[in-house]
Amino acid sequence: MTSPRGEVLQGTLGLIMLKTLDAMGPLHGYGIAQRVQQASEDLLKLNQGTLYPALLRREQRGWISSKWGVLDNNRKAKYYSLTRGGRKQLTSEAESWERMAAVIAKLLGAEGA
Amino acid sequence: MDRLHVFAARLLGLFRKRRIDENLDAELRTHLELLTDENIRRGMKPEEARYAARREFGGVEQAKELYRDQRGLPALDMLLQDLKFALRGLMNKPGFAIVAILTLALGIGATTAVFSVVDRILFRSLPYPEDDRLVSFGVMAPFDSREFMLGPDFVDWRPRQHPFEAITAVEPGSVDCDLTEQNPSRLSCGQADAAFLPTFRVQPILGRNFTHEEDLPNGPRVVLLSYGFWRSRFAEDPRIVGKSLSVDGKSTFIVGVLPADFEMPTLARTDLLVPLAMGESTDRGPDARQHIVRTFGRLKPGVNPTQAAAMLQQLFEESLNYVPAQFRKEVSLRVRSLRDRQVGDSRQASWILLGAVMGVLLVACTNVANLLVARATVRQRELAVRAALGATRARLIRQTLTESVLLSVLGGFAGCWVSYLLLRLLVSIAPDGIPHLQQASLDVRVGFFTLGVSLLSGICFGLAPAIHRMPSELLAGKEFRCTSRYFLRQTLVTTQIAASLILLAGAGLLLRSFWKLQNVSLGMHTDSIITAEINLAEYRYSQPAQQFAFFRDLQSRLARLPGVSSLALSDTLPPSGGMQATFLSAIEIAGRTGFTAGTGGMIGYRYVTPSYFSVLGIALESGRAFAEKELLTTDEPIILSEALAKRLFGDGDPIGKSFRFGRQNRWRTIVGVVGDVKNDGLTTAGGPEFYLPWKEEQDGYYRRAYVILRTPVNPQAIAKWVRSEVASIDPTMPVTIEAMSQRVEKLADRPRFNAILLSLFAAMGMALAAIGIYGVVGFLVAQQTREIGVRMALGATPQGILKMVLSNVARWTVGGAILGSIGAWFCTRLLESLLFEVRTHDPVLLCSAVLLLLAAAFLAAWIPARRAMRIDPMVALRYE
Repeated sequence: MTSPRGEVLQGTLGLIMLKTLDAMGPLHGYGIAQRVQQASEDLLKLNQGTLYPALLRREQRGWISSKWGVLDNNRKAKYYSLTRGGRKQLTSEAESWERMAAVIAKLLGAEGA
Repeated sequence: MDRLHVFAARLLGLFRKRRIDENLDAELRTHLELLTDENIRRGMKPEEARYAARREFGGVEQAKELYRDQRGLPALDMLLQDLKFALRGLMNKPGFAIVAILTLALGIGATTAVFSVVDRILFRSLPYPEDDRLVSFGVMAPFDSREFMLGPDFVDWRPRQHPFEAITAVEPGSVDCDLTEQNPSRLSCGQADAAFLPTFRVQPILGRNFTHEEDLPNGPRVVLLSYGFWRSRFAEDPRIVGKSLSVDGKSTFIVGVLPADFEMPTLARTDLLVPLAMGESTDRGPDARQHIVRTFGRLKPGVNPTQAAAMLQQLFEESLNYVPAQFRKEVSLRVRSLRDRQVGDSRQASWILLGAVMGVLLVACTNVANLLVARATVRQRELAVRAALGATRARLIRQTLTESVLLSVLGGFAGCWVSYLLLRLLVSIAPDGIPHLQQASLDVRVGFFTLGVSLLSGICFGLAPAIHRMPSELLAGKEFRCTSRYFLRQTLVTTQIAASLILLAGAGLLLRSFWKLQNVSLGMHTDSIITAEINLAEYRYSQPAQQFAFFRDLQSRLARLPGVSSLALSDTLPPSGGMQATFLSAIEIAGRTGFTAGTGGMIGYRYVTPSYFSVLGIALESGRAFAEKELLTTDEPIILSEALAKRLFGDGDPIGKSFRFGRQNRWRTIVGVVGDVKNDGLTTAGGPEFYLPWKEEQDGYYRRAYVILRTPVNPQAIAKWVRSEVASIDPTMPVTIEAMSQRVEKLADRPRFNAILLSLFAAMGMALAAIGIYGVVGFLVAQQTREIGVRMALGATPQGILKMVLSNVARWTVGGAILGSIGAWFCTRLLESLLFEVRTHDPVLLCSAVLLLLAAAFLAAWIPARRAMRIDPMVALRYE
């Protein structure tokens, strides 16, 4: 198993996925996984298989939509993109994350002082 | 909204499983290939690159599993899977499935049929809005078994009462009325005041209610049609209102049509509803015509019947002042819910039948539980393997429950057929007077009940084997005798025996009581007696002389018929009640005063022709019967029944004494005393009565009479001749012909009905219990084959083996019999009101029931036990 540091914190994967789709536009599963790892400078060690159920869950909620496309050498791939609802969700999730982070930072800062 | 969205998406996912799976496969494949390509680009060898890609990706199957859980509805998915599995299991063992389903079908079917009958009596709301606020109120007096009011009291109470929003008065029973136009026919007319429909909140579907003016004496003649009559007579003519109809020879204006589900609160048949027209008179003088009415009220919200009675007490006491002083103690006020009034004594019988059929259902369920436990024992290894492969305990319980519920639902479906047949049987043997029986049917409500019962029983009997913990050693593959499971099965059998015994004891009591009823002495002979009831139409025979002449004519015509050995006429017939009656205190004997302080109860009387006693074979105790010539003179003879003679004269001789009763001023001479007959049903001791001669009198009332014929000829033939004789006098006259024995039998209809049903249920319970014992013993013998083989190899005799098996059965059965006897001791008490001359605690009967049950149990055990006796030790030991 991967080290604890590499585990994606419960609940953050969704936010990261939405943010990635927001930043990069339509992507397939592989693309999302690569992008997440690049962006986190390989700090976040993603279990890539878990990406798909997570994507499905968000699709069922109507936050992302998917469309089949074809890659360069005739491979089929599903492209995911953010919907309008997803964008709203991203904003609210990001806000609550920042609030949380701010609280934690304050807590840690206070303890450090 | 969001959740609904997800649910819809998941539900959709359920139906496109394969496509989604294929898509996911393609997606994952692409992902892995892209990863591999990337790795190759980084300089790995293809083989190595593929492994690295897999490593990076994580578990492919886990990802798919997670995806699948997210895709559909896992619970539903699992259920479908369990169902499929359960169905396959049942198909594999059709014998087991058929026995279980048939058992359940019997239990559930019987329960459903009984429920569909008692539902209308006990639970279903009456066809009036807010029916729980409707009550029947009035006074109780010795001469009527139901509460009633006198017209003037009602008129007096109406503006002064407080507990009710509205009150209404209705004629007791329906009156015969005749449709006198093309295709004349005899109808039933209900009579009610103008407040009736508003009080019950019944809205005519066409037209309107009576107005206040139409409800006054001698008001305009108006009528509301019942739905059934509107349909059969006028083919639902929507413009019927405003037309007129000739009723009893008078033109009557149709003002409206009643709804299809309308019924009178008295449950009397009603083709037409006409105004009661009682008027506003509160005159209670001796000459005033005092209407007797049934009165109903709609309680104000929050008032219950007890409170209402308290609120009416003041008015009741005022009315009591008008009651002759000696009666006052015997008159009381009564307010009860409409349902109580309608259901009356059917309520208890209904609960008892429902309880009994629940007992049958219990036995059926324990039987199936037993079968399932047996199956579970066989499937121990399979379940152990599933547990070892990771199935949780909850998952296994769910699987087992799915199976049992599937069984019970299938049983419920089969039970619908059983209940359909049973209901037809019930309706065909049911006595008159079970409220709403004709409407009893298998409708949606009953369907839901069946479904509920099926599910519930499925869960109950499924839980027994399901919660059973299986020992982990099972995986070792050894057959394993699980003692707690053995104990469970014993308990189930014991329960069955106990429940069956209670049913059997109850059925025994009812049968015995019914048998006594059949052999009750009526005080008369009913064999080869035919009776013809004739009601003269008011509009054609309004004068007593006309009425009398009709019956005289008929009498002489019938006497000439071949095959009629003798005949008599009377205004009422024993043993059913309905005769005219007077208070004992209203009877006077010349030269003596005061027999009784109060009313003394009711004394019935009837008008009979001289041959009445000889035709019915009623014994003449002393004096003589009426003489034909007395009918033509002004003599006033009277005959007493033995009980009345004893009451009035003790041991003295009544013959020749003068007798006067009621408001009649004439003195009559007692000429004879005759034996007592049952004159108020079969279960009561015959009440005292006296007989008056059927002779022409100025103020006589001869509209209704029974012709009593004694004939050695086939009753069918006589019936035809009687009809044609009646028709030759008046072709429109309806006549009801019945054998006397039939009339008597009808009175025993209700006890017979109860006895048949309870016996049927007891027989079902016992048969099911016997099947249960057979199954358990057979299974135990199969399980113990090796043990028995060893015992026999070591020298046990077949008789010894038989004793071993049977002693086991004896333990459970005797245990069940003891429990059942205790239960029966308590339960049969509930039957008390249904029994006739039988004590509820009858040790002989209980012992016979126990013996019968034990015999059945041993018979059921005998067959498999004999198999045990014949086990060949060599074969048995090689068995494993």
